Amino acid sequence: MSLKFFAAALAAAFTLQAHAADLLDTVKARGTLRIAMEGTYPPFNFKDPKTGALAGYDVDVARIVAAKLGLKPEFVSTEWSAILAGLGAGKYDVIVSQVGVNAKREQAFDFSAPYTYSSPQLIVRKNETAKYHSLADLNGKKLGVGQGTVYEQQARALPGITVKSYPAAPEELQDLAFGRIDAALNDSLMVAYLLKSSTLPVKAGARVGETTRMAIPFQKGNPKFKAALDQALAAAAADGSLKQASLRWFGTDVSRPVN
Amino acid sequence: MELVDLLREAAPVMLTGAMYTLLFAVAAMVGGLALGFPAAVMRMSRWAAVRWPAAVYVSAMRGTPLLVQLFVIYYGLPSVGIEFTPVTAGVLALSLNAGAYLSESIRGAIQAIGQGQWRASFSLGLGYWQTLSFVVLPQALRVAVPSMSNTLISLIKDTSLVSVITMTELMLATKEVIAVTFRPLPLYVAAAGIYWILSLAFEHLQRVLERRLNRAHR
Repeated sequence: MSLKFFAAALAAAFTLQAHAADLLDTVKARGTLRIAMEGTYPPFNFKDPKTGALAGYDVDVARIVAAKLGLKPEFVSTEWSAILAGLGAGKYDVIVSQVGVNAKREQAFDFSAPYTYSSPQLIVRKNETAKYHSLADLNGKKLGVGQGTVYEQQARALPGITVKSYPAAPEELQDLAFGRIDAALNDSLMVAYLLKSSTLPVKAGARVGETTRMAIPFQKGNPKFKAALDQALAAAAADGSLKQASLRWFGTDVSRPVN
Repeated sequence: MELVDLLREAAPVMLTGAMYTLLFAVAAMVGGLALGFPAAVMRMSRWAAVRWPAAVYVSAMRGTPLLVQLFVIYYGLPSVGIEFTPVTAGVLALSLNAGAYLSESIRGAIQAIGQGQWRASFSLGLGYWQTLSFVVLPQALRVAVPSMSNTLISLIKDTSLVSVITMTELMLATKEVIAVTFRPLPLYVAAAGIYWILSLAFEHLQRVLERRLNRAHR
């Protein structure tokens, strides 16, 4: 492999980027929307053990949005730790996997309008006597969070808390039950499901911190795609299909901000 | 029996994952051997220009984490216009990695064969490549098989890392079941059991190979 080839490839990559078509044109030409999700985050997106197919709120939302855009959805499941890297490398067009919007992520990607509003919630052991009303009450305690989540960033911002990062919620809850951590922090929408489907001796704690907004990220520099995506989400909100999906999985409408 | 139900529910997903694991392992074994032999021979060359690239390759592959290699090949190379499918990228990274380790086992085995074998062969009029392939390699392979098997069996388990490039192999399939059932322990143990069974099959292959290569020494 010669240096010349390498240089040519590099040059080609740059010119491609300079003249890149809007993502909307690319997906329209392809006819499919490539959607990434974790597949291990119930009730948002998970593999149904009986059918082996992806199911959950995110899957429903992705299908609705793809239909409104006139595209065939094509799902890719990948680990959370690599999901944003894959979007950056153009392995898929969007991520519909409860990606929380924050300033740091907005520097790297563009986001659609939010489609989920939620808040972080603590999970504690059933026999816990201490009362934690806010993250500050956990000063000097050990708090479990998911690796690379917005909750991890929020918890690490408070110096008094010992933050333990877990690859996924089951391991986090197991350690909470064992007493290796004092509390776990996760999405309040996830907490209801966790407590329903897990037999571990844990209970829901206080809701802490501010409202989190989840949206659909895609590569920067695609104004037409953003407009079409926001329009599709607005249409789904207007005709009630977004609300219906939310009611199906959570029993409440999480697609619009509380009050 | 709640545990039996859990495992029965998990079995289809996990066995599909195990199939991918086996597929990746076998493809990477073939790729690794295809890279390992030339790399070993290159490292023993008389010319520095031939030795040097092989030495850099082995050093880089052994000296960096496989996870990083996977990331660079799958997520990094598209920025310079080289794009692979997840399967290609996974097999490529695993092959490159295993090839480096295998080449060292092979090199060690070739060097374990006495210089007298080379000289005797040359004096019979055989050339370098003839001596290597008909006299030295058959003897060297016998020495190399146990340590090559080490690399190949750990390769089976290294395939779990391809889950970061969107491949649902055994480990990610297990995590998917754990995510909905919240029963990490029994499912991880079941996954470990499947890995062990796969490894046992390759251990058996190793024994057959060793017996075959040992025929001349009984």
